[in-house]
Amino acid sequence: MADEKKKKKIAIVVSENSLDKAMMPMILATSGIALDAEVHVFFTFWGLMLLKKNYKPKLKGMMKPFTGMMIKKMKEQNVATFQELREQCVELGAKFYACSTSMAMMGVKEEDLIDGVEIAGATKFLKLAMDADVTMFI
Amino acid sequence: MDANKTLDTRGMACPMPIIKTKKAMDELEAGQVLLVIADDPGAKEDFPAWCEQTGNKLVKMEEKDDDIYIYIEKGV
Repeated sequence: MADEKKKKKIAIVVSENSLDKAMMPMILATSGIALDAEVHVFFTFWGLMLLKKNYKPKLKGMMKPFTGMMIKKMKEQNVATFQELREQCVELGAKFYACSTSMAMMGVKEEDLIDGVEIAGATKFLKLAMDADVTMFI
Repeated sequence: MDANKTLDTRGMACPMPIIKTKKAMDELEAGQVLLVIADDPGAKEDFPAWCEQTGNKLVKMEEKDDDIYIYIEKGV
């Protein structure tokens, strides 16, 4: 199968933590691994929150009060929850990176994060992105 | 057409049908056939793309009512 050819590499930066922007990287990361790609996701600024244990993203700004409605709608349509997709990502082997500067800025400690997250800086991500076939910013 | 294994993904939304398919396919041997039943409208485009990228063969895809029956042969 894909072992003979070089694996494709996908690099994603996530800088926001609203529910919509939280779902996208999880869906893309799981799908990317299903496509036999290597997937690297770098969480920075507000995006870092998505790596916290038991984190439940909400809609942002004026849309915030509609979070419950959105989650209900997603459940009705059998869309997997953020937490479920995040677990799938870890199980399937997506690589998650927490931005070290964001951690310091926001007072987030390593023990606040889910297991398996690597702490890294912008250079590490850029090196991955330079070698990647697909790079996305969310 | 006979399948070695059947995976019913009806009711599941993207990306779960593909993830479940990948996991089911990992357990098959080359040449064996997996039948995936899906009702996600995106499946018609997603499955051919998945097969092409992963080196598996899309043997047949047929619509029955609102469901899509996808036969995939595991590649070597």
